[in-house]
Amino acid sequence: MDEFNDNEITKLLRLKKYEQPPPGYFDNFLHEFHRRQRNELLRQPLWRICIDRTRDFVLSFNLGTLTSYPVAVTAVLMCAAILTLRIYQTPQPAAVASNDRPVLAVPANVEEEWTLASPVATRVFSTRSLRNMTESAQTHRKGTPPRYVLDSVPVSYETTFKF
Amino acid sequence: MDEARKDEDQRLVARTQEGDAGAFDDLVVKYTPRLYGLVYNMTSNHEDTNDLLQDIFAKAYKAIRGFRGKSSFYTWIHSIAVNMTLNFLKKRGRRYSLSLDDVDASIQNDKEFLEATASSSPVREADLSELQKRLNEAMMKLSDEHRAVVTMFHIQGMPHAEISKILNVSEGTVRSRLFYANRQLQNYLDEFRKNPVS
Amino acid sequence: MRRLSSFRPASRFSLAGIAFFAVSASLFAQQQPQPQEPTSISREVKDVFERCSKAVVKIDATDQHGELSGTGFFVDPMGTLYTAYSVGGEADNISVEFKGKKYPARQLMADLRSGIALLKVDLASPALPIGNSQQLEIATPVVAIGYPLDLSQTPSFGMIAGFDKKCLGGFFPTTHLRVNLPPQRGEGGAPLLNLKGEVVGILLYSFESNSCYALPIEAAEKLRSDYVRFGEPRYGWIGTNVQESAQPVEGSRAVTTKVMKDTPAFEAGLKPGDVVLQIGRTKVHEPEDILEASFFLTAGDAVPITVARDGEKITFQIQADSYPDGRLPAAASNRAMPLNLQSVPERTP
Repeated sequence: MDEFNDNEITKLLRLKKYEQPPPGYFDNFLHEFHRRQRNELLRQPLWRICIDRTRDFVLSFNLGTLTSYPVAVTAVLMCAAILTLRIYQTPQPAAVASNDRPVLAVPANVEEEWTLASPVATRVFSTRSLRNMTESAQTHRKGTPPRYVLDSVPVSYETTFKF
Repeated sequence: MDEARKDEDQRLVARTQEGDAGAFDDLVVKYTPRLYGLVYNMTSNHEDTNDLLQDIFAKAYKAIRGFRGKSSFYTWIHSIAVNMTLNFLKKRGRRYSLSLDDVDASIQNDKEFLEATASSSPVREADLSELQKRLNEAMMKLSDEHRAVVTMFHIQGMPHAEISKILNVSEGTVRSRLFYANRQLQNYLDEFRKNPVS
Repeated sequence: MRRLSSFRPASRFSLAGIAFFAVSASLFAQQQPQPQEPTSISREVKDVFERCSKAVVKIDATDQHGELSGTGFFVDPMGTLYTAYSVGGEADNISVEFKGKKYPARQLMADLRSGIALLKVDLASPALPIGNSQQLEIATPVVAIGYPLDLSQTPSFGMIAGFDKKCLGGFFPTTHLRVNLPPQRGEGGAPLLNLKGEVVGILLYSFESNSCYALPIEAAEKLRSDYVRFGEPRYGWIGTNVQESAQPVEGSRAVTTKVMKDTPAFEAGLKPGDVVLQIGRTKVHEPEDILEASFFLTAGDAVPITVARDGEKITFQIQADSYPDGRLPAAASNRAMPLNLQSVPERTP
């Protein structure tokens, strides 16, 4: 990290320590806080006030740990459900690489050809399936070189002047 | 954070949990200036800060019965403040307006700030209010999360360890965010310098 | 504490007078180019290679078409690196070779429009300093460092040949650097460096036999900034179409043909028939100049747009929005094919 820049930013930002609210703001804050609390209490429905009072009453007997029991029970039930599902789930054969996917979106008039544009020649394929993933994984480990990337055309073009 | 403050906080929290509302008032009075600074520097809007502070303390008051002291009260209330502010900023989105507090005149006694601004070769003239505006605009260009770490580290002077506890991320993440944010601030301030807008 | 406003204007002004410019001066000072002693080009090029090569890495990955290999480079000390979209954009099992070891990498962001991807490796890394492509001129010498084929790290030397908005019948999303430097397969994602060893571009496409195109680093940094701010690219959109007009108006042929309803442009008061003269700091003379300006527009940022209407110049402050789904400009016509096996569109005469 550039120590000089770090200190520079810190020193500049010291200005922000001196940004202060209007005089008397902090003195008045507590009064405002009380006022809002009273307003909120008055706006609450009666059933809500009853629940809060009951909860406060219960908690005052230091029975707070009881609240954790429902959570614990729920967690145990969820774990049991997950384990049950796993035990009884029949293993599926790996379907990932079994599809032969044809190459998509090839223009109809494309022929198999080498362009003369550059030594990094591009080759245009007609529609046919490529190797699937499992094959790739296996055959490449047998010494087939990877595809060395350098595009000969941009990955995208702007087609209109919209902004 | 010093032990004396921690002890005092613990006493006030214990009294609040026993039902002493006055003890919570003491915590509000104690923490309002600090939390105001945190929230204001994340929002750059006085009115939003005021509303958020009220909500933060209201939430803290409701939740304090469940506070078990696993972290210090300081860390706990700062976590609430940061999270509520981040949620607010996400909802506020990009349509915000700056509502800046005045810069107190005692800044002219701030040696470090004056050091940063002392120069014999001025590039352009500007006044303090413009610098304030530029700094706030630069801060607002940061992501909310990055602004939070800049506020806590550079403005409030919190150590990395404390920030990582408040945000519940690793210290490495805090350092990484500070690095990005510093670079961004550098770039934004550079941009303003190169293209001064009246 | 006394408020600043209670001070006399003179003392406020004097305090003010030392404030911002001093900040700017100190920031400015470090950006000034250091005067260089005359050195031979070969020494400079060797020096750039020696200093910068440690931040350039080989990237291996697998995509739906098989294994691939390319180049990338670190931009910060935390293992963040840039590469080409074709290398890191649609691949998985990405690994980065650094100091003789392989490290797994994950994708932070990939953007088809610009053609780049941002990856991350969890290690402390050397980082290339970011340069300024605006300072490049025709014939400015540049160096690329990459991993061609299965060979070790290799430098290439060349010069800036042009600043192109178009290529092979289509428009770039932003002006690209054309470089007379012979790239080789595997060098997609390589850094393009000036002789100070600063990154000025990212090598993306080959062109003819001995040239290539690079994305200017500012375009990449805009996207990295978007990632930091939003977690994704966040191009700005105002909701208007522009076409070429027959006659220039105030030096511009870019006339607005459509302003979509309930868009930032519509709300700001832009109308069909307005001739666009300037967007932000970019002066507009042709419709393709719009692309340059709009690339750097970020959703949420306000931008001044000046138009000519009925003989008058009007400037609107428009706050760009995000692109509505599906409208993002990026033709990507052969997306499903391996990107370096795409067909070559017909050339313009």
